[in-house]
Amino acid sequence: MSKTKKSNIGHYEVLFIVPNRFTEDEAKQVITAVEGVITKNNGEIDYREYWGKKKLAYEIKHNAYGYYALAEFNADKEAVALINQELRLSNDVIRHQIIAKRVKSEEEIAKAKAIQEKINARKKEEEKLLKEKNEKGENDSKEKRSKKTETKKEEKSDAKELDQKLEGILSAKDLI
Amino acid sequence: MKNQKTKECHFCVNNLEVDYKDVRTLRKFINFYMKILPGKRTGVCAWHQRKLATAVKRARVMALLSATHK
Repeated sequence: MSKTKKSNIGHYEVLFIVPNRFTEDEAKQVITAVEGVITKNNGEIDYREYWGKKKLAYEIKHNAYGYYALAEFNADKEAVALINQELRLSNDVIRHQIIAKRVKSEEEIAKAKAIQEKINARKKEEEKLLKEKNEKGENDSKEKRSKKTETKKEEKSDAKELDQKLEGILSAKDLI
Repeated sequence: MKNQKTKECHFCVNNLEVDYKDVRTLRKFINFYMKILPGKRTGVCAWHQRKLATAVKRARVMALLSATHK
């Protein structure tokens, strides 16, 4: 344990499933009730998410579907234990999971931003290179195409000359 | 010597965090039998592979992923 006393309050995230026996409106009421449980235990909710009705990957208490909802809150350890207990005993929530979320310091956020910028710059460069390559490739292929057409023309002219020669020979034969 | 290709960690390269709610990405790191793929196979760095394993397990608890194939 570090000597400096850290505050007991942590950042948590709870994801819970409301069973399908409720209608959507009723489910929303249940969700507000759950949020009430958190606030009752001195939790401060700072983020909410509602995913809506989703199919569960497996049946939970004979429920194939459920309404997913998410809430992030700040609370101390004891409060989290109480919230966990209440949600576990509740019949309106078939499953829930409380997870401690690490709060990023400003330094970390700045670092992440810098890295993101670097990545973006690199991606742009790669795209540029790709574009240049593609353009080059197109030019090359165009040149090749033009060359091909030239050769074809030459062949055609050769054929014409041959025809003329042949005709000449034939006419000469006729003369004989 | 099947998987000797040197891969870069998906999360390090793209500056991503492992999230158990993001099932689409998690799905890439489990096989047909819903088993977590080894780090050797996924190419994810050891630090992120540990986060990945817990994320998959959390997703299983919340019925976002099934634990078996059917």
